[in-house]
Amino acid sequence: MSGATNREAVFPTRQSLGIMKSKLKGAQTGHDLLKRKSEALTKRFREITRRIDEAKRKMGRVMQIAAFSLAEVTYAVGGDIGYQVQESAKSARFRVRTKQENVSGVFLPAFESYTTEGNNDFGLTGLGKGGQQVQRCRETYARAVETLVELASLQTAFVILDEVIKVVNRRVNAIEHVIIPRTENTIKYINSELDELDREEFFRLKKVQNKKQRDTAIQDAEMRAKREDAEKRDKDKENEETGGGGDILGDDEDADVIF
Amino acid sequence: MEGLFFNANNGYIEGIVRGYRNGLLTSNNYNNLVQCETIDDLKLQLGPAYGDFLASLPPNPSTSTLAAKTTDKLISEFRYVRANAVGSLAKFMDYLTYGYMIDNVALLITGTLHERDTRELLDRCHPLGWFETMPVLCVATNIEELYNSVLIETPLAPYFKGSLSHQDLDELNIEIVRNTLYKNYLEDFHNFVNTDSEMAGTPTAEVMTEILEFEADRRAINITLNSFGTELSKADRKKLYPAFGRLYPEGSFMLSRADDIEGVRLAVEGVNDYKTYFDQAGMGQSSGPGNMSGGSGSDGKSLEDLFYQKEMEISKGAFTRQFTFAIVYAWVKLREQEIRNITWIAECIAQNQKERIGNYISVF
Amino acid sequence: MAAPASAYKDRQFLAVIGDEDSVTGLLLAGIGHVTPAPDSQKNFLVVDSKTEASAIEEAFVRFTEERKDIGILLINQHIAEKIRHRVDSYTAAFPALLEIPSKDHPYDPEKDSVLRRVRRLFGE
Repeated sequence: MSGATNREAVFPTRQSLGIMKSKLKGAQTGHDLLKRKSEALTKRFREITRRIDEAKRKMGRVMQIAAFSLAEVTYAVGGDIGYQVQESAKSARFRVRTKQENVSGVFLPAFESYTTEGNNDFGLTGLGKGGQQVQRCRETYARAVETLVELASLQTAFVILDEVIKVVNRRVNAIEHVIIPRTENTIKYINSELDELDREEFFRLKKVQNKKQRDTAIQDAEMRAKREDAEKRDKDKENEETGGGGDILGDDEDADVIF
Repeated sequence: MEGLFFNANNGYIEGIVRGYRNGLLTSNNYNNLVQCETIDDLKLQLGPAYGDFLASLPPNPSTSTLAAKTTDKLISEFRYVRANAVGSLAKFMDYLTYGYMIDNVALLITGTLHERDTRELLDRCHPLGWFETMPVLCVATNIEELYNSVLIETPLAPYFKGSLSHQDLDELNIEIVRNTLYKNYLEDFHNFVNTDSEMAGTPTAEVMTEILEFEADRRAINITLNSFGTELSKADRKKLYPAFGRLYPEGSFMLSRADDIEGVRLAVEGVNDYKTYFDQAGMGQSSGPGNMSGGSGSDGKSLEDLFYQKEMEISKGAFTRQFTFAIVYAWVKLREQEIRNITWIAECIAQNQKERIGNYISVF
Repeated sequence: MAAPASAYKDRQFLAVIGDEDSVTGLLLAGIGHVTPAPDSQKNFLVVDSKTEASAIEEAFVRFTEERKDIGILLINQHIAEKIRHRVDSYTAAFPALLEIPSKDHPYDPEKDSVLRRVRRLFGE
């Protein structure tokens, strides 16, 4: 914020001062708004982070239960169904779709799970033995996957919010630390330039005034000198009138003119 | 009289198998197992029973490798018994393996249908269902070749013939193929124990009939329950019911017409055991399809658990009989259940789900 | 603002890179999708001890960059470890990348790339 260099290249006129002032005002409003947005997003972000933490732990438990239900299947079927399951997978029954949620102007996609009806690739798995366990396991896993989908939504939101918050914060910082000081500097500069002009003007006026005063003073002095001169002459005349008179009329006339 | 010459051929085997049976884990052992905090503890507790087979495991092995190693013990013992078996017992034991063979073939069919390299699948096959010519099946690149190879190379040919064509393999769901084969297998096995000259009318036939009938009923009930809500039609479903068992024919017929669990319950009404199971498992009330409360919700025993329990009791009962091959079958089933129990307990320990660790089935 | 609608409106599948048990379970839940032949593509990859890191990486790239119909990519944490550099440098919003626990490897929040970012942001 070193004064003179960090400012915009403008002519220090009253007009550009006006422009700068409105610019500063705009920047401040923008800063406030962005700051508020950033705060809202950060709040959301923290909330999401906390939920991610929770959800991850929950996932640990849910997946364990699911894995355990698979162990039950192995127990009941009395063999390994892995290969058969892998080979009979054809069309996904469990899918996700994305929807959007608006948080302070940011669109956060969220996953939503849904199951397509009708196709069941594993309906007959464990037909002879363990079918009920297989069905149960499927449901347990489907629930587990729902948890996973929820977590994936949170995580996506996390990644996107992280990005957006970074951008917003960068803007807030840019406004706060670059644009506003710069505009302020410019205003300061323009003000100081204008003040300088003002002072010059004032000084000049003062000079003019001084001169004028001097001039009038001189004139006054001259006047007074003249008058005193005249008075003196009058007195002389009176003195002369008592003595001799000739000029009295002329002098009287003069005096009338002045007074 | 039937026991007169039994020991001449089969006495040794019977002795061995009874010895194996005494090696099965007892309730005491299980009580110790469920106390374990880590898989390593579990391994240590299993030491006396499984010593050599678990020795090569790394510290804290995964449950699946643990299961694989315990199965290895069963396999090696089974192979030993099989190698010493002669005559009808040898054939009986072959029959025993066919069930596993069906699973293996089903696996290969799946692989071939999806044009996978079936050689990789050989590792996944159940060793009990391994037959020498199985790698030959991997040569097949399309389903027709595979079908022909199965017919030529495997003992399963009769189960395919007449019920499944190679187009069927292509079109039908693999589960239907598997269950069709299994149905044919059960019927054949049932027929075998009741007609073979060495077995007909002996305790073997008696015990095995009980076991197989139970197995047939269990499958029929399970298939019916599991087919609700799937594309399996009632007519197709009916084809999967074995044509014997305590439910056959009336119960099976009613099963084939059942639309919901209530229907199944009515169908099994005639057999007291099954009726009790349904009541115990709390099925048939308006609780929806089974107790599908998911993961941790079901604290009671499920129908499947009760069936397993029953199977174990029948198997245990088989050992009270003398001069019978059925103990071999019973021993294999008991041992399988033991492996499942160990896996279950290991799973519970590994995943920290101790509250359900008691769900194993122990009959000794 | 951050992502145009076109970036995600077609994303309707989940993809998974995981061990056999995780994949089996998730497929049972019904996320499996195999596009019809020819060049049928699966949206899952089973990783076992024999799978090379390069194959995992390739699948990762395929699911995150090439395929535009995947909304969420699930990956077992212990597998993510194998291609950690890739996972950590992945910052795009779509598809969302989730590290999930597996049966044999319980969840460790310390390793999660997103959680680590969270921690960093709040200076914990």
